[in-house]
Amino acid sequence: MTTPEKLKKDENKHEEPNLKGTFVSVMLLGAFLVLSWVGVFILFIGR
Amino acid sequence: MHLHKYEKIWLSFGIGSLVVFLLVLGYGAFWQGTHPQSHGITIDSDNVESNEAFKQENLGVTKVDDDKYIVNIVASAFNYDMGKDEEGNAVKTIRIPKGATVLWQVVTKDVVHGFNVAGTNVNMMVEPGYISSIETEMKQAGEFTIVCNEYCGVGHHMMYGTVEVYE
Repeated sequence: MTTPEKLKKDENKHEEPNLKGTFVSVMLLGAFLVLSWVGVFILFIGR
Repeated sequence: MHLHKYEKIWLSFGIGSLVVFLLVLGYGAFWQGTHPQSHGITIDSDNVESNEAFKQENLGVTKVDDDKYIVNIVASAFNYDMGKDEEGNAVKTIRIPKGATVLWQVVTKDVVHGFNVAGTNVNMMVEPGYISSIETEMKQAGEFTIVCNEYCGVGHHMMYGTVEVYE
């Protein structure tokens, strides 16, 4: 029998989604932003 | 609230970058005095000579100290007035020793012009009614072309000058 309590427990127990691909894409985008910013900054400082 | 382990990493990365960026910006603005090239210093564009710096005899390069120079220029369609040499010819080349600190002050008598010393950080908009200024250290020797990079009319492409940074 499904009691409300049991339902709640099941909701909390659900498996973590696999975010590996998302993580890699977010970090690639982040690296691109940081590198382009640093590149422009170095140009500005060096000139 | 439950956050995935990866979410925590990329959120800290994002917020961290924002903090670093703001610190760099704040350091430039509050400690180094960086400001927009035109920052509210006004001039009467119909009578720029009313300002001491833009009187005909004060245009061009003025040495103010060892390795410290001021360059005053009046832009107009389609010319940069950099003063006159001893023979009365219009100056088209500004000569600065390498490593000198130069304060560039430019105004316009008519429309919006650009002032870009190509290859350096001297790049600003010159708006009627305002004095645009930027201070830079000329770190590299060579010849640099001054160009107008705001379209100002049919003779826009004829508006140029030269900066010679010598060793």
